[in-house]
Amino acid sequence: MRKILEVKKISYSVQQKVKPNSTAVKKTRKEILKKINFDLYEGNILGIIGESGSGKTTLAKIISGIIKPTQGEVNINIPNNGRVSQVQILFQNNSDIVNPLRKVGGSVEEVLRILKKDNSKQGSSIEELFNLVNFPENLWQRRGYELSGGERQRAALARIIAAEPKLLILDEPFSAQDPESQYNFLQIFKKLNQEKRISIICIAHNFNLIKELCNELIILNSGKIIEHGETEKIFTSPSHPFTKFLLKANEYNLTKEELLVNSMLSKNEYIPGLSNKQ
Amino acid sequence: MGESEILSVSFREISLKNTKQDRILLSDIHFSLPKNNIYAIVGKNGTGKTTLMKSLTRLLDKRYYDISGEVLFNSKNLLSLDANELVKIRENDIKYVFQDSINTFNPLKKFEFYFNKFAKDKTLIEKYLEHFQLPVKETLFKMRPYEVSGGMNQRISIVLSFLANPQLIILDEPNSSIDPAITNLLIHQIKDFAGSGDNSVLMVTQDLNFAEKVSNKIAYLSLSAGELAPGTLSQLYSPGEFFKSEQDEIKVFLNPNYELAQHA
Repeated sequence: MRKILEVKKISYSVQQKVKPNSTAVKKTRKEILKKINFDLYEGNILGIIGESGSGKTTLAKIISGIIKPTQGEVNINIPNNGRVSQVQILFQNNSDIVNPLRKVGGSVEEVLRILKKDNSKQGSSIEELFNLVNFPENLWQRRGYELSGGERQRAALARIIAAEPKLLILDEPFSAQDPESQYNFLQIFKKLNQEKRISIICIAHNFNLIKELCNELIILNSGKIIEHGETEKIFTSPSHPFTKFLLKANEYNLTKEELLVNSMLSKNEYIPGLSNKQ
Repeated sequence: MGESEILSVSFREISLKNTKQDRILLSDIHFSLPKNNIYAIVGKNGTGKTTLMKSLTRLLDKRYYDISGEVLFNSKNLLSLDANELVKIRENDIKYVFQDSINTFNPLKKFEFYFNKFAKDKTLIEKYLEHFQLPVKETLFKMRPYEVSGGMNQRISIVLSFLANPQLIILDEPNSSIDPAITNLLIHQIKDFAGSGDNSVLMVTQDLNFAEKVSNKIAYLSLSAGELAPGTLSQLYSPGEFFKSEQDEIKVFLNPNYELAQHA
């Protein structure tokens, strides 16, 4: 199998102002990601799970080239396709995900037009793209603001697929959806992976959907990879205490005591028998 | 209305006014919420769950919505109550946590304003902030809503609702942007709240697992099937019964595979 992505020891930190008292201002660096290292092979679907604030979205932005890492490098092994990038990212669903004032059909056509000009070859047809994401024809002429959340997300996806990506990054694609639309999206992503040979990185906090979609899994905890392997294996025999905690949290079965222990862990307090720290 | 009920809802119709013809969104919705109970309403996107919650305290714009029926809160009909009295109830007795919590705050006001206004017992603020893994009071009070993440806004909104010490908390997708660990915490907090005094909680959610773990009763809000069949509320089930329901629509809702599996 071909390596499509190499993430080599990337770290990311931001400057933060701390006010220890009312007059003094101290500047410190806050580390968001710490030496993240992994490869992605073509055709794989990789899930990334972590608590909010664990650096998931930052990682997605670095891989797609929106922000530069403080240290380390990202190598993408995909031939150039003109002006349209073959690494595409579907952002968390909100009203900004498609241009509210443009017609959906037009914004997808634009991508096809640029692709054609740069590569002098015919890409997918607009019908094919909208069919792929189950976007009904009677909505093509609607503008972004006239669509519901789910429709907007599918329109955004159609535009992204038009760019013929080889790597698709999904940032919380299932949030704020009912079980039926989650299931439909899951089917669409699987189809894109199988029929279009698109490799996928999916960031989510819903374990059940990640389990259905991804064959490979990374668990992030405060900016570090604490577990990486086959999804199945991590679910059946998690090795890190934090993974065990997350799995239990996902079932909403945590007791008050377990929650207390976690909040202490996140403050880096040592807890005998539970903490990995020495 | 029985003595132990804190809320008794009976909507004939909730409809959207239209220049040509009014569109009925929901009809025949009747249920009573006893004290010390947690009820969850589940349903698909766009069924009108949020509309239903907002109708309870007349939060929908009268210019666009028509509501007929009765909402008794401690024997007072909220739909016909004098506006000043209603505002007092909204301020002290019924607290909402909205789905788009970020938009419930005025972006130009610091969080200090909200905590000072709504927290009944100021000494509890720090405890709640720590509990929900929010920044310390000194830091948070100086921040404005646009300076924190969506998940944090949601948690702040939740904390404020508990601090206001109301009798009824209405939650609209309270865990939509917070992670599972904090959701676990929220479950404990909701149960503790509903377990004390005469309190109760009413919520809408799409997270079935969450609904199962936290609530005493679950009802399904069905999707409107055209003008002749507006959406309506199913009977109340205990969580155990709900997940074994034999009603087709609920079956498909619970397991989208079901329909496909039947045809296979």
